[in-house]
Amino acid sequence: MTFAERMLKIDRRIIFLVIGICTLLPLLYPVGLPIRISQEVRGVYDHIESLPEGSVFLLSLDFDPASKPELQPQSISLLRHAFRKNLRVIAMTLWVSGTGLADQIVTQVAREMGKESGKDYVFLGWSPGGTAVIINMGQDLYGAFPADYNGKPTKGLSVLQGVASLRDVNYAVSLGAGNPGVEAWYVFGKDKYKFELGGGCTGVMAPGLYPLLRSGQINGLIGGLRGAAEYETLMDQKGRAIAGMDAQSATHLAIIVLVIMCNLFYFSSRNRARQQGG
Amino acid sequence: MIFLRRQVPLLITLITGIVFAAQYYVPHPASEQMLTSVTKWLQIIGGFALVLGVSSLFHVHAVKIRRKEAGWGYSFVLYVGMLGTIAVGFWTNGKEAIDGTMTAFGWIYNFMMVPLQGTMFAILAFFIASAAYRSFRARSREAAVLLIAAVIVMMGRVPLGEYLIPISGDLSQWILNVLNASVRRAILIGVSLGTVALSIKIIFGKERSYLGGGKE
Amino acid sequence: MKRETLDVKRKNARSARGTSLLVAGILYLSVSPAFAQTALAPPQDVRVFDTPSDGGGSLTVIWSPASYDSAAAKYQILFSEGTTAPDPAAMKVVAEFPANQRYVRESKWPWWTRPATGEQHQFTLKSGKGIELKNGNSYSITVAAVLNDDRVIAAPVQAMPEPNWINWNQMNNLILALLFGGIVFYAIGTARKREIFLRRIPGLDAVDEAIGRATELGKPILYLTGAHDMSDPSTIAAAVILGRVAKRTAAYETDLLVPHRDPITMAVCQEITKQAYLEAGKPDLYKDDSNFFITSDQFSYTAAVDGIMLRKKPAANFFMGHYFAEALLLTETGASTGAIQIAGTDSDHQLPFFVTTCDYTLIGEELYAASAYLSREPVQVGTLRGQDIGKALILCVLGVGTILATLGVMLDAQWPKLFLDFFRDVK
Repeated sequence: MTFAERMLKIDRRIIFLVIGICTLLPLLYPVGLPIRISQEVRGVYDHIESLPEGSVFLLSLDFDPASKPELQPQSISLLRHAFRKNLRVIAMTLWVSGTGLADQIVTQVAREMGKESGKDYVFLGWSPGGTAVIINMGQDLYGAFPADYNGKPTKGLSVLQGVASLRDVNYAVSLGAGNPGVEAWYVFGKDKYKFELGGGCTGVMAPGLYPLLRSGQINGLIGGLRGAAEYETLMDQKGRAIAGMDAQSATHLAIIVLVIMCNLFYFSSRNRARQQGG
Repeated sequence: MIFLRRQVPLLITLITGIVFAAQYYVPHPASEQMLTSVTKWLQIIGGFALVLGVSSLFHVHAVKIRRKEAGWGYSFVLYVGMLGTIAVGFWTNGKEAIDGTMTAFGWIYNFMMVPLQGTMFAILAFFIASAAYRSFRARSREAAVLLIAAVIVMMGRVPLGEYLIPISGDLSQWILNVLNASVRRAILIGVSLGTVALSIKIIFGKERSYLGGGKE
Repeated sequence: MKRETLDVKRKNARSARGTSLLVAGILYLSVSPAFAQTALAPPQDVRVFDTPSDGGGSLTVIWSPASYDSAAAKYQILFSEGTTAPDPAAMKVVAEFPANQRYVRESKWPWWTRPATGEQHQFTLKSGKGIELKNGNSYSITVAAVLNDDRVIAAPVQAMPEPNWINWNQMNNLILALLFGGIVFYAIGTARKREIFLRRIPGLDAVDEAIGRATELGKPILYLTGAHDMSDPSTIAAAVILGRVAKRTAAYETDLLVPHRDPITMAVCQEITKQAYLEAGKPDLYKDDSNFFITSDQFSYTAAVDGIMLRKKPAANFFMGHYFAEALLLTETGASTGAIQIAGTDSDHQLPFFVTTCDYTLIGEELYAASAYLSREPVQVGTLRGQDIGKALILCVLGVGTILATLGVMLDAQWPKLFLDFFRDVK
């Protein structure tokens, strides 16, 4: 077996090791390259910037711990932005396994920004039904969530004053890792109840949401860790996303080098086989 | 019995399917009220579905333990895990934290569920690299185009790539916004037509496989 | 004497000329836009009516454009409750905006429900922000024009908001949905009467090859039906293809393993597998636990199936149905065991992973087509034909629509919108 053929059949654990090193080293020794802001992320940022103080902002954290590395930085940046603009924040989740995580994120950022539950924000928690919850919220928010996650009745909370249903929400963003996610919020939410909608998602899902973005069904899209890093740059607050971009850069470069190498070995062994054959 | 198992569900599907398809075109508050009631019922049924899922799991693994089938030890571990988590959840009233202090339920969530789920998802990064190494070969013209597009997008989506090749950022944006969006739209149209066709068949009783059982 | 008369005549002529000039000047100034004062007339043709095609609680105001429409002038919408004609000056101002805004053409009315021509002004009043419109109650609305310190008000008009039973704005959607449904039923009817040609799906040859390979190696076959339940078209297609695979495995006496995420799907697949073994003439080889339920949780299921792959080392893996993030975890583990892998999915997010790790992939509707090809059921085949006709129609609309939209922009014409509006917002 030639060297090229041996390299083509290389043990995948060596590739895992290369990826592991490329992920670990930049996290330990960050470089901090500049991050260019895309139009997609700017769409969400600019819209939140344009909202007057006291506007109602709904953030649906539709992800579970598996998608935490990509979507938690997005949620933190969005919440910081909303609190900085003194918007009234309604947080919730459609994924039961993400409820604890969503509660932690909202509580942590609210404490950091000095915001009070019930007055500046409310975390509604989770309700069964998936898309049925969206429809119910569109008809009557208090019917869908009679109490918040801590058991406090939602009717009478000052943060929800004047908010009877999704029609009274000024801007909603769904951070989705699957279904239900951004598409469900558009189909069952924005299409019927006519509020403005933005999206955030994992890197894998982002290309699939471009048709919604291009047609104006969502006005912005924060895609994956890169999108989160762009938002942190816009907020001028370095967080885990910017820290992770160095690791992502190194990993992408490693994969590109591996792919180029494998193609070189492939062509080399193919040419050799052709020479031997004829 | 056949009437209850077959005809009644089909009749219910037909009536509710037509009524709620029509509901989309009726803006009257009476129609909205009907939608609200039904979605509340959906939420209630969704809650029961959780119970159903857990009880099926219990049943399947109880059979495995009773028969001492291969791997029954793992079924026992599953039982202990499930019952333990349910007990702790009830004890802490389902709260992960009370006044900033982590509860036992929160401990299970943060130190067992989060790392386990994160690990499964993190494996993808390694698998993507090994799959790419094995499969991204320019065996044909189409494969070569795929390879070049993949390299451009991988470069353009990270700061290092944009630093080394500044044009990769714009090119990857163009690939995503133009090529990718148009192809995704095409797939979306096809899949959506399939979903609409299936929904129409289910409503009018032409498609009955969702009821379970074989053909009649 | 003569000279004096001449002087008087000259004087008279001069003063007459001066007067004429003065009159001409005044007349000129009155029509000159640069120097004349704009005459502020009350907004004309003010109409107020219940907003059509809504659930009530809304009124629409329409009025004609005026010569003074500009950024400097403003319109105000005035509101009061009750049926008695109020004093316009005492009515509440609920909205104010520059006079060169809020036209009918800017709103989203499709042409068949547009209440006025595009250049008319329009404002929609809804409950909230200081006013509440209750269905069945009468309200007085009017429009005021404001320019510098001048304000003129049109006569108030009474109207009553009412809920409507039909949303005429979405009629294009309904017509197209009914048309598509009709096409599908027609195609199913045609499929019942005669054979409809379906081209052979290349992936099906790969299915047979994979089963043959597993039989030669004496190893089992692993078949997955995806993450969704039986109400999803991809799961139905996966179940149909399982029937074919089960028939072959029965004939070759190969073991079949089908782990499930959904109990109902498992029950359906059990019946399908049993039927397949019966048709293959090997009912005694059928095992009830070839179809088994693992869990509905995504990654728990994935871990369990990965364990099955590593322990039992199936020679052929089939991934049919809808998948999420677990796709690559399953296929890469399967690839590491050296199994031949065939995938068929409509989940476009995971297609790249399947294409790179599987030996063959049925993409999107190829999965539905494969199940129709195998079953030859008129319902399946007819549906496929109906979908194809639907897609052909959409392609034609895209082509014609693009040409018309381009013509509309080039010629600055409105008539292409008659066609384009009909297909706008179809969902």
